[in-house]
Amino acid sequence: MRSVISRCFLMQLIVGCAGLAFVPALPAENVDLSTVPDRDTVQLTIYNSEDITLVRETRKVSFKKGGNPLQFSWANTLIDPTSVELRFLTDPDKLEVLDTTFPRAKPHMLYWNVASEIDGEATIEITYFTSGIRWTADYVLVANREESKVGFEGFVRVHNNSGEEYEEAQVRLVVGKINLVEKIAQLAQVTIEEVKEMEEESLARLSKGVKRSLMSRTAMPSSAAAPEAPKEMIKEGLSEYFIYTIEGTETVANGWSKRMRSLKPVDVPLQIQYRYREPEYGQELVRMYLMRNDKDSNLGTTPLPDGEVRVFRDNGRDGLSYLMAQSIKYVAIGDKIELNLGPDPEVIFELIRLKFWRDNIWLHLTGTDVFRRVDAPDIQVQVNSSVVGWDDHAMYAQRVRNYSDKPVELEVRRPLDGHVDFRSELTATNHDFRTVQYTSTVPASEQVDLLYEVTTHLGRNAKQNNVTLETAEVMKP
Amino acid sequence: MRPRFLTVLLVLLATLSTVSPQAFARVKLITLPVRQRVEIQLDHPQATLVEEERIVPLVKGVNQVDFSWANTQIDPNTILFRVLPRPADESKPLDVKVLSVSYPPNENALVWQVASDGSGSARVRISYLLGNLTKSFNYRAVATNDERTLVLSQYIRLQNFANEEFGSTGLWAGFGTHFLKAIGINETKQMLMEKYEQVPIKKTYTASTQEFGYLDRPQNKLTIPMHYVLKNNKANQMGKAPLQFGKVRIFQDDGRGSTAFIGEDWGQFTPLQDEMRLYVGTAQDVVVVRTIEKNEQKRVAGNLYNREVIVKFEIENFKDRAITLDVAENVRAVRNEVSSDNGRDVEWVIGPQTTFPDGIDQQRSTFDKVVLHTDLPARGADGKAKKVVHKLHLIMKNEW
Repeated sequence: MRSVISRCFLMQLIVGCAGLAFVPALPAENVDLSTVPDRDTVQLTIYNSEDITLVRETRKVSFKKGGNPLQFSWANTLIDPTSVELRFLTDPDKLEVLDTTFPRAKPHMLYWNVASEIDGEATIEITYFTSGIRWTADYVLVANREESKVGFEGFVRVHNNSGEEYEEAQVRLVVGKINLVEKIAQLAQVTIEEVKEMEEESLARLSKGVKRSLMSRTAMPSSAAAPEAPKEMIKEGLSEYFIYTIEGTETVANGWSKRMRSLKPVDVPLQIQYRYREPEYGQELVRMYLMRNDKDSNLGTTPLPDGEVRVFRDNGRDGLSYLMAQSIKYVAIGDKIELNLGPDPEVIFELIRLKFWRDNIWLHLTGTDVFRRVDAPDIQVQVNSSVVGWDDHAMYAQRVRNYSDKPVELEVRRPLDGHVDFRSELTATNHDFRTVQYTSTVPASEQVDLLYEVTTHLGRNAKQNNVTLETAEVMKP
Repeated sequence: MRPRFLTVLLVLLATLSTVSPQAFARVKLITLPVRQRVEIQLDHPQATLVEEERIVPLVKGVNQVDFSWANTQIDPNTILFRVLPRPADESKPLDVKVLSVSYPPNENALVWQVASDGSGSARVRISYLLGNLTKSFNYRAVATNDERTLVLSQYIRLQNFANEEFGSTGLWAGFGTHFLKAIGINETKQMLMEKYEQVPIKKTYTASTQEFGYLDRPQNKLTIPMHYVLKNNKANQMGKAPLQFGKVRIFQDDGRGSTAFIGEDWGQFTPLQDEMRLYVGTAQDVVVVRTIEKNEQKRVAGNLYNREVIVKFEIENFKDRAITLDVAENVRAVRNEVSSDNGRDVEWVIGPQTTFPDGIDQQRSTFDKVVLHTDLPARGADGKAKKVVHKLHLIMKNEW
């Protein structure tokens, strides 16, 4: 068995030797000799929806016949002690965990009592949850000059602030929302702040050169041959989730993060639409890039995890224009990708109320203060009557001035409160009971006035709380 | 503090102490060499994109390219690293691929792992957003003595507080001239983007109580602003690009070989074919006295009334030139001036006693704003102005 050089925050597996008393007597005694078996393999399964990583590591341990105490400690890491499990990959029928003890005075340690029928080496697998490792996705999009397509490239970035260095680890990334009833960091009983402080101490000890040399190993695969292409990511469905397995192994030093390509650049066809949707985009007409995560768009092999999208455009001068950055939510295979580029200064969007009038006015007659001229019975003044119902009519022009050199595909959603009739010749639909949606195309370098009339029934005239669409010609005053 | 932006050393770490020389002899750490070309893209309204090209020597195998910065506001999440295609005439271009990028803790740095199929140099382009390198636009307009045309000069002003010096650097605002300039730290550089000659001026005078208020409230004299209106199209000697937001300082040829400053305004973003409207100053030679001549309500039934209001304008043009005056009234504000605000919109029509010759301007009027025009003759030879009286008769219906 080999010993490993370990820093204070590394996890250790210590195997008690022959002279060691058997658990439960062990914690009360001094360990006079122990060995520290190194990790053979380690696999990290990192979730992006919660701060949880499943670590699966294998080690080779020598057992003697009879009782074998194994001590596992994880000081200054963010491991959930309730999740630590031991399994025997070799001779499982001859090795058995009799019990697991968590010593009272040592919160980051446990002992396994292993009963062995063999006298020799066995491969064990230890699994546990840790927090402090996370991964994020991001995307870089470069639109062509004509904005007919975008070069779409995806990345994942693994961040390790767990307090532990996982060298040469197989890395798997889980896309999806899992349910947890308790946070792993709380179960670990170590605050993130404590870990951060610890990192700074340890980082101070490490010279920059050492750090760089550590990182230099991250570029190396487990085999001696250097990769000549970015690593592939194998993407598979798993229940409600998707799992990305990064080819080969990776080392992410504690405190570092590492970004790798998850989607090879592909050309994705692009549709541009101008939208007005106040609840989603505020009180402005915004320009949207619309795409789909499907095969027709050269995507659709995997859902797109939540992540930051950065969009550039070929500026036609052998350079790029920066357009925007936006977070997107999980995009399922086949679903749409919508990016808000913000308002276009060359497309001016104004809602102009052209005319207002009122009719269908109802009075509530109280009947007492009624005056009538004797010589003119038709003249009657009812002083105490008051207005209780009426209809307000408003005519609007949705004016769009398109000063750009391309036609504008427009979609407008307007919520209209109350009992409303919407009259227009526009292509209008009810987006919901109170929201009208209409679409139009504004040719390049032209102005259009999209006319409509809104009648709001008020007072006792209001019988509903919805919008009724009517097709009718609306003429400018 | 001198920025440690990008160093020029080439560092080769032949071996690493913790690994066997045989296994890692191909791993190299390379600090980025000097910039070959820099382009600053200023076409985004808020962000500035810097694109720089460097020639990076690579060896066969996996190389590490180290990029670090200090005292500058590079947004590390926006950094793009692209290997540029080699010129076609080169015998055997390198096949270079970016494998991954690593971010060290507590440092403004990153390390690209780059695989190369041979030894040689590669031209790479690194793009990133840089803070505190900002641009703005401003204009200088010089009108002729008769105010019929002006010369509009558009300037771009670049302020470099990014704590980084740029040598000869390409600057592009997304339109107009592409500049090649050096920009020092904390330096502000102003450059002429465009100069438009012989731009016709349309002068407007506006009487709008609600928008511009009174010049002399006790005498009911309105403030009459004078605007220059410039149309951004070819027919008006402009129309090359949208005019960006910026301050416009306006001068006028004084007829004595010099110019006089006559006012300034914020020029709004003006797309092609649109108009830039500049508030130059108050026209005190155009006197407009506004009074409410009539306010009368008539019961329709119960608490329902119609109201008639006549707004009278007594106008004198003391200028030696005939002008057109635009008159605008907000009907709801007029209703609230003579009655209480009931919180409801006003249903109104123009009454028969309105005297403005052309009626209301349908294009510029809305449901609560009425716009009218009147031509005013120049003052007479005797120096006296002819008083023109116009009335706006509003019938407000179904009020309660």
